Amino acid sequence: MSKLSEQLQSGKFVVTSEIGPPKGVNLEKCLADAEQLRDKVTAINVTDLQSAVMRIGSLAVCAKLVERGLEPIFQLTCRDRNRLALQSDLLSAWVMGIRNVLCLTGDHPALGDHGEAKAVYDLDSVQLLKAAGGLNEGKDLAGHELDGKPSFFLGAVVTPGADPVEPQIIKMRKKISAGAQFFQTQAIYDTDKFERFADQVQGFNVPIIAGIVVLKSAGMAKFMNENVAGITVPSSLIEEMAATKKEDQKKKAVEVSARIIRKAKPFCQGVHIMPLGWDELVPEIIEAADLG
Amino acid sequence: MHATIQKQLDDLVSYFKPGEKVFVVGCDNCAAKCHSGGIPETEAMAQRLARRGVDVIGWCVPQPPGVSLCKLANTKKVLQQEHGEEVEKADSFLVLACGQGMHTVIDAVEGKMCHPGCDTIFGGETVSDDFITEYCSLCGECIIEYTGGLCPVTLCSKGLLNGPCGGAQNGMCEVNREQPCGWQLIYDRLKSIGQLESLDRYQDPKNYAKWSRPRNLTVGEKEATFRSLAGLTTVPNRD
Repeated sequence: MSKLSEQLQSGKFVVTSEIGPPKGVNLEKCLADAEQLRDKVTAINVTDLQSAVMRIGSLAVCAKLVERGLEPIFQLTCRDRNRLALQSDLLSAWVMGIRNVLCLTGDHPALGDHGEAKAVYDLDSVQLLKAAGGLNEGKDLAGHELDGKPSFFLGAVVTPGADPVEPQIIKMRKKISAGAQFFQTQAIYDTDKFERFADQVQGFNVPIIAGIVVLKSAGMAKFMNENVAGITVPSSLIEEMAATKKEDQKKKAVEVSARIIRKAKPFCQGVHIMPLGWDELVPEIIEAADLG
Repeated sequence: MHATIQKQLDDLVSYFKPGEKVFVVGCDNCAAKCHSGGIPETEAMAQRLARRGVDVIGWCVPQPPGVSLCKLANTKKVLQQEHGEEVEKADSFLVLACGQGMHTVIDAVEGKMCHPGCDTIFGGETVSDDFITEYCSLCGECIIEYTGGLCPVTLCSKGLLNGPCGGAQNGMCEVNREQPCGWQLIYDRLKSIGQLESLDRYQDPKNYAKWSRPRNLTVGEKEATFRSLAGLTTVPNRD
C-alpha cells in the first residue's frame, strides 16, 4: 500500500508536489528538485510530457524516485499511447515499484512542440481508470487473465473552476465508478468557488487534493485567466501581486499560496503544490501554511 | 458529402512529365459543390494547365447533372463511349474529385495513370452553398443516440467518449479558442432536449476494428453486409 493511500485513508491531511522531467538526458535538476521535497511531502507527481512537449517520460523518472526512496505519483495521459501501451506501461510501472497513478486525458499535441503529431486518445481518462482498475483485479481490457496482478492507488483530476461545472461533476462521478480513489484538482485561487464545488461533491466520499499553483506575478495571473481553462485568479489577488516589489515576489508567492491552502483546507483532504520552476519555495509554503 | 479542395497548381504541374497528354476529369456531385471539380472548375483547370505548358487533350465532368464520379458504371460509360478517342490518346488523367472518385477513374480507364487534383479533406454537411463542415468521422460505430445526435468522435478534438477534458474555456476548445468544445455542444443539446442523464452512461472504449481500413459494404434490396476487421455485420433492409 502506498503512503499516499494510507494517509488519505487514515484521514491525515496530505501534501503532494510535482516535478517535470527535462528535455534531454540531464536529470540533475529534476532529481535535485525531488530531493528538496524529501520528508516534506507524501508523494511527488511526475508529469507526463506536460503541455504535450516531448521530454523524458514520467515512467522513467518515477522509477528513479522509487530508487531513491521517494514516493512518486505516475501521471499517465491518454494522448500518446493506445490501450496496449497504456496497460503495458502500467504493468511496467508496478514492477518498478510505482504504486500511485494519476490518470489524465492529456493536453492535445497541437498545444505542444510537435504540433503535427498524431493524437492517440484510444482510451479516455474514464476508460483508462477502468482499464487500470481491471489490471488491479487481474484482468486486462480484453478480459484476459494476468499472471500476477498489481494493486495501484488510482487517482484522477477534476476542474472545480470549470464553467459550467456540471459536466465536470458528471464526469467525476463516472471516474469514481470507473475506479478513481482520489482526485487532484486544477489550480484553486477562488476559495469561495472551491468551497461551493466541495459542497456539491461531498457525497462522493472520495478524497480531494486541492491544486495550488504558485502564483509568481500579476502578469502570470492575467495570462492564466485568459489562457488556462478552469482557472480564475480573483482581481483582488491580481492587484495584490501587482503591488508587490520585484524583490519581494517570492516572499509574496509563499504568503499567497499558504493563505489559499489555509482557506481551502477545511474543504479538502490534501493539497498538491505545483511550483512551476520555483521548486525551492515548496518547503517554505508548507511551513507557512502550518502543514510542516 | 466528401469535401475536397484543389491542390496547388504548382504541385499539379510538377506531376506531369514533358509531353504527357493529360485528360482532366471532374465530378458533378461533391466536387461540384466544393467548387473543386464541377464543370466550371474542370474547364478552367484544363485552361490553367494548358497555360502552364501542360498538353491537355480534353476534359469532362460525367453527366447526367449531379451524378457522382464514384458511380463506376456511369463514369466508365461516359469516359469510354463519349470520350473514347481522348481517353485512348491520353497518357494520364487528372482527377478533380475525392479519393473515391480517383479510384473510380482508375477502374474506368483500366488502370491508366491517374493524378490526384484535390486533397480529400473530410465528410461533411453542406450547411450552405458556401460552407461545409464535419459532423461525422465515418468510424463505423455510432454512439450518437446518447449524445443528442452530436458525434464526440468528430466534434471533440480528442474524440473523448465519456465527457469533456478540463481544457475548455468559455465553451471553447483548448486546441482552438475559436472552435466550440464538442462536449459543451453535447451538454447544451442534451440539456435543451431534457436528456442530460445520457451523460451518466459509461461509454466503452471504441471498437477500432470497425474503423479498420479498407472496409466494404455489399448492398442489396433485402440486406446489407458491412465488412471490417470486426467481422461481418449483416442487416435486413426492409424487414
